Amino acid sequence: MTKTSNRIQIAETPLITGNQTFSTITDKVSSITEQKTPRMWYVLFGAASSLALIMFSLIGYLIWEGVGVWGVQIPVGWGWAIVNFVFWVGIGHAGTLISAVLFLFRQKWRTSINRFAEAMTLFAVICALIFPGIHVGRIWVAYFMFPIPNSMGMWPNFRSPLLWDVFAVGTYFSVSLMFWYVGLIPDLASLRDRAKNKIRKIFFGIVSLGWRGGNRQWKHYELAYLLLAGLSTPLVLSVHSVVSTDFATSVIPGWHTTIFPPYFVAGAIFSGFAMVMTLALVARKIYGLEHLITLRHLENMNKIILVTGMMVGYAYSMEFFIAWYSGNAYEKFTFINRAFGQYAWAYWIMISCNVIIPQLFWSKKLRTSIPVMFVASIFVNIGMWFERFVITVTSLANDFLPSSWDYYQPTFVDIGTFMGSFGLFFALFLIFIRFLPLIAMSEVKGVLPQADPLYYGHNGDGKGEKHGK
Amino acid sequence: MKDKNKLNGKDYWRSLDQLADTPEFREFLHREFPENASELSSAVSRRKFLTLMGASLAFAGLAGCRRPVEKIIPYVNAPENVTPGIPKYYATTMPFGLSAYGLLVESHEGRPTKIEGNELHPSTLGKSNILTQAAILGLYDPDRSNSPLQNGNSKSWDDFIAYWRSEREQFSDNRGQGLAVISESFASPTLYRLYTDFKKNYPRAKWFTYEPLSDENIYSGSQLATGKNYQPVYDYAKAKVILSLDSDFLLTENENITANRGFAAGRKLETEKDSMNRLYVVENNFSITGGMADHRLRLPTSKIIDFCTALMNELGIHMGKPDLSSIDKKWLQEVAADLKKNKGNSLVVAGKKQPTVVHAMVMAINNVLGNAGNSVTYIELKDAVLPRTESIRDLKTSVQDKEINTLIILDGNPVFNAPADLEFTHILKKIEKTVHLSLYQDETSQLVNWHLPLAHFLESWGDARSLNGTVSVMQPLIEPLFGGRSMAEVLNLLINGEDLRGYEIVRSTWKSILKSGDFEFNWTKVLHDGLFANSQPIKEIPKISAAKIELYLSKNHRPEKLSAENIEVVFQQSPAVYDGRFANNGWLQEMPDPVTKLSWDNTALISPNTAKELNLKNEDLIKIDYKGRSVEAPIWIMPGHADYSITLTLGYGRKSVGRIGNYVGYDAYKIRPAMNLYFGVGAVITKTGKTYLLANTQDHGSMEGRPLVREASIEEYKKHPEFAKEMVGHPPLKSLWEEQSYDEGYQWGMTIDLNACSGCNACVIACQSENNIPIVGKEQVRKGREMHWIRLDRYFSGGLSEPEMVYQPVACQHCENAPCEQVCPVAATVHDEEGLNVMAYNRCIGTRYCSNNCPYKVRRFNFFNYTNEYPEVLKMAQNPDVTVRSRGVMEKCTFCTQRINSVKITAKNKGETVKDGDVVTACQQSCPADAIVFGNINDPKSAVSKMKELNREYTMLGELNVKTRTTYLAKVRNPNPALMD
Repeated sequence: MTKTSNRIQIAETPLITGNQTFSTITDKVSSITEQKTPRMWYVLFGAASSLALIMFSLIGYLIWEGVGVWGVQIPVGWGWAIVNFVFWVGIGHAGTLISAVLFLFRQKWRTSINRFAEAMTLFAVICALIFPGIHVGRIWVAYFMFPIPNSMGMWPNFRSPLLWDVFAVGTYFSVSLMFWYVGLIPDLASLRDRAKNKIRKIFFGIVSLGWRGGNRQWKHYELAYLLLAGLSTPLVLSVHSVVSTDFATSVIPGWHTTIFPPYFVAGAIFSGFAMVMTLALVARKIYGLEHLITLRHLENMNKIILVTGMMVGYAYSMEFFIAWYSGNAYEKFTFINRAFGQYAWAYWIMISCNVIIPQLFWSKKLRTSIPVMFVASIFVNIGMWFERFVITVTSLANDFLPSSWDYYQPTFVDIGTFMGSFGLFFALFLIFIRFLPLIAMSEVKGVLPQADPLYYGHNGDGKGEKHGK
Repeated sequence: MKDKNKLNGKDYWRSLDQLADTPEFREFLHREFPENASELSSAVSRRKFLTLMGASLAFAGLAGCRRPVEKIIPYVNAPENVTPGIPKYYATTMPFGLSAYGLLVESHEGRPTKIEGNELHPSTLGKSNILTQAAILGLYDPDRSNSPLQNGNSKSWDDFIAYWRSEREQFSDNRGQGLAVISESFASPTLYRLYTDFKKNYPRAKWFTYEPLSDENIYSGSQLATGKNYQPVYDYAKAKVILSLDSDFLLTENENITANRGFAAGRKLETEKDSMNRLYVVENNFSITGGMADHRLRLPTSKIIDFCTALMNELGIHMGKPDLSSIDKKWLQEVAADLKKNKGNSLVVAGKKQPTVVHAMVMAINNVLGNAGNSVTYIELKDAVLPRTESIRDLKTSVQDKEINTLIILDGNPVFNAPADLEFTHILKKIEKTVHLSLYQDETSQLVNWHLPLAHFLESWGDARSLNGTVSVMQPLIEPLFGGRSMAEVLNLLINGEDLRGYEIVRSTWKSILKSGDFEFNWTKVLHDGLFANSQPIKEIPKISAAKIELYLSKNHRPEKLSAENIEVVFQQSPAVYDGRFANNGWLQEMPDPVTKLSWDNTALISPNTAKELNLKNEDLIKIDYKGRSVEAPIWIMPGHADYSITLTLGYGRKSVGRIGNYVGYDAYKIRPAMNLYFGVGAVITKTGKTYLLANTQDHGSMEGRPLVREASIEEYKKHPEFAKEMVGHPPLKSLWEEQSYDEGYQWGMTIDLNACSGCNACVIACQSENNIPIVGKEQVRKGREMHWIRLDRYFSGGLSEPEMVYQPVACQHCENAPCEQVCPVAATVHDEEGLNVMAYNRCIGTRYCSNNCPYKVRRFNFFNYTNEYPEVLKMAQNPDVTVRSRGVMEKCTFCTQRINSVKITAKNKGETVKDGDVVTACQQSCPADAIVFGNINDPKSAVSKMKELNREYTMLGELNVKTRTTYLAKVRNPNPALMD
């Protein structure tokens, strides 16, 4: 902890406002899980889980009938399923970035948002993992992808980027899950201690793994958290880099580019932050968390959206430049075709949402305006979905031989499944905010002025509770 | 690349548009990629197709082994017993109008599975076409009629025999008074013998012959010119200059297999020093023959007579004054000069749509040019009953005069395909007793008293005389699956009431043909070879009376001016379903039309100019009013079509044929008049405001300036013999790692000569038959899910109204550095040591990544379970040597790996190595132009290695360093320097 003086604290916008104390934070966050379930929650959960159910029934239909119920065809063998996969994996990036990378960089403002950003990561990755699982033609033998010793002489082809995906996303999911859970332990213990009925006591007693908040525990805990953060950091870069190799290692013009790994990572962070923003704004409003998730948090996130948005914009223009500079006629055609061909509408949606909209955040007024950032974050998410659509579909629809060119369109199953994945995502998220602390209490307390060991020395009011209780 | 591209001066363009960046064409572009392609009013949706397929499991019991009872002789030495797994080959004959195709049919344990041409038979010479290839599916069609019906009630053949025996009594007493037969034309010693017997037995009975598409005009032309019915037999290989007047001799005219073969032989190029023939085509609609043309003149069908007259004049035979208003005179003069220059080595042919007088003039022209006896010979027709459209008009008169009380319809479907103005349905209703023999319970069967199921030619004994006079025997490959009887059996029954087996009927005919020597020995030989070698009649040069032709012309021809209000209608044969008889054949329905690339529908084709003038777009539904009748049809704009002319394809819109063919397309017969069956002037087109969705497999194509099909004129080729390779410049192709060398053992490779390929689609259907490729239905084709392993890419070049057309067959290229293999996560597609890119279907989980990464997009995916619900009887058509793929796996061309392995096993058992030419892929075997060569590229003496040495050889997308095993030989055209602008 750095030494801070009161004067500096006054000059800087405080991270937490409303003159919070350790106990007000515990009360505020824990009560969300303890109070009677608000009616609104039921409404939202009902809607989200219905959507999720639609998705599961459509998946059932898909598995029963075949991949033909989607719009995929030859030449466009990958349609919305893969677009959705890349989209959701991208969303999942913000969580790890906020919890691991910003942790390592000691960005204290992350504490208010990291918990649900991490949760969001997990749920997004769950949504993402559904799609590669169901998009294969013979789902019942999808286990052929895994290197399982068997008597059939089957062994996966390690040269295939799809296999790399399996490992990259799998690793990412398990590490993120671990990281999230480790971060939850102190807060789960708080809930255990506050629990008033037996079930809660037993449940939180088990999941808090005997946390008592002792000094030794904290010492080990923080080291473990640091190590996990260190472990997750390369994953932030690797997952989407690997996902991008699905495209980059192929020979198809528009896919075959070396810019993809960094470009995909930037895009992922961009979309992930946008999604965190959307969720944070809603949760903040509903549960009255304005003092914990302050404008300063939101503004910081908007700055990151602005930066990554411009990185993505740079990648778009660089793709064009290289297509021209390479002298490769197929490559050139592909990019001109993206902007002016049959899918130009998708391309321009992408450009408007991803490159133009974030430019609003140059203005301090706009980037601190809740309605503006809410709308912008939604546009960014739309734009990023279209980015993946443009990459996947336009490159395939018009590749080398014009004779095989075709126009891909989704069916109601494609659309319903995608909508349903949002349902699943929100349903999981609602379950999370209902039953688990959506803000990392222990970490937020750490950034309170009271957490400063010198705080007591200067004021000596002794009002604050002991750390970790 | 761009500069090199200019070498051949061609800019290939999107199918219609992009030359003219006008709003109309942008609109057209937009139509190319329709956005509302959701659900169709498709006649056969996949689900419906499969559901119905399932319904016919009733035929399950028929799927056993049904070897014929009579002794039939295998083509190769007859083994004593059938060895399971080893197919046998039997020669037989497919009668087709007056033509007959000699075939060799592969039979697995008593069930025929694959048809090839009979190498000994002059009409096929071992090659085949789409209709012969698809016949195997027709045999197993579960919708074929399976029982005699009396007024719609199921009866047995015995019932019919009893019925006929009682009917027959009155006809033997009154010598056939009131009895009439209507049949299609045929040329067959047995049928002709029975025909004469019939006439003898019932001298007062009438015999009419009608078929909707025939060579009738050729014979009437010959009658006019010479007074006799001569059959012209063309030898395209001998012609240096060929002029086709509306003759699509490579696809839809009779004897197209030999024509294709001869034409390709005359164009064969090994080096730049070789010469090649030159083809001029005058036609209304683009045909594949027009695509092969070195010069093509688009002319309304009704104006071709004027062109022909003018050509007569140019060649010095006075024919009066033709209307030359729409004819390019320079073109005409240069063609005439070129023909004269090549006297004796030229050939002029006219198509079946052309009227009598054109055929008469063409005979005269060939005589004047000295071609008769050389590139064209004539034979007198024997054993043949000729088509006579007039006779169906006579039938109407006879019925009106109440001269007929019993009508027997032997095959044919006049209710569907008789000229509309005859109103055949009414005629039929006026006749007291009607009997109909046909393969299907079709439109005619619904309106008769007795319907009798006809046996398929692969189920019956018979014989046929082909157009060049060769007599051959039809051997049954299988007992009738649905209890049908052959035409000969039924005719025999009609004559004497005796229920004889076809075998005995045919043998008794052949006892008079094989008079000398031991009959059994000769008979066995005929069956084995599939033909009677010494049966070709003497060829003669006919004498022609030009004056008679001129007189006829002056009486019968009045030129008409065409305009947007006075449009010419042309009725054309469907390359797929012919006159409609193959409408229930799924392979043919799904086969993309060679020119439009549309599958599952027929359209009304018009030129871009006329479409613009009438403000029509693709898929607009129009109403065509012609001679007091009208029909609605969807528009398809055809570059290169003649202006103010509309081409309608016959054979679609059937109502009663089966689950595949019912209600596919529109019925152009509805406006077809009895006079001038093939074309006429005076149609009016109105827009209905509705649209009709069509399933196109390749309209979204343009070469976009890419060097895919490489082409040069022969002059350019002489100057730059390596032009094909020079068209693409790229840096040296190097790999990051040491590549597999593939220099041991057999290394399979293929070449495809684009100079020979005419785009006839034979390979597509042959491949479908050999490799158990399913059909998927219109809706799926529209979505881009057709399953053909080999496709014919068609590109246009040149101007919008006068384009040139090129074809490129594309199947899996078998890349040594295959992009598909690298990306498959489960190693389901891998390379074998012989250079084949192989698919392990059982391993495939269906990620479709391989297809995405295939630069040639030749992989096909089973989006649904297309084969699972096949009716049992259809399963019999499957090749047992090829896996039937399930849902969710990728498939693609295997270079016919089953054939390779079978040859390898045989060779290994003998302790030999595989000889060049022993392994023949299905596409190669069918190709009448010999465009495809396959073999071991590791053997420098093999045919394929030699092809790969030719300077025209190039690799498509070779710059990707994928090292394809299939390479192409560039196309060369031979334009007349005098006509080069």
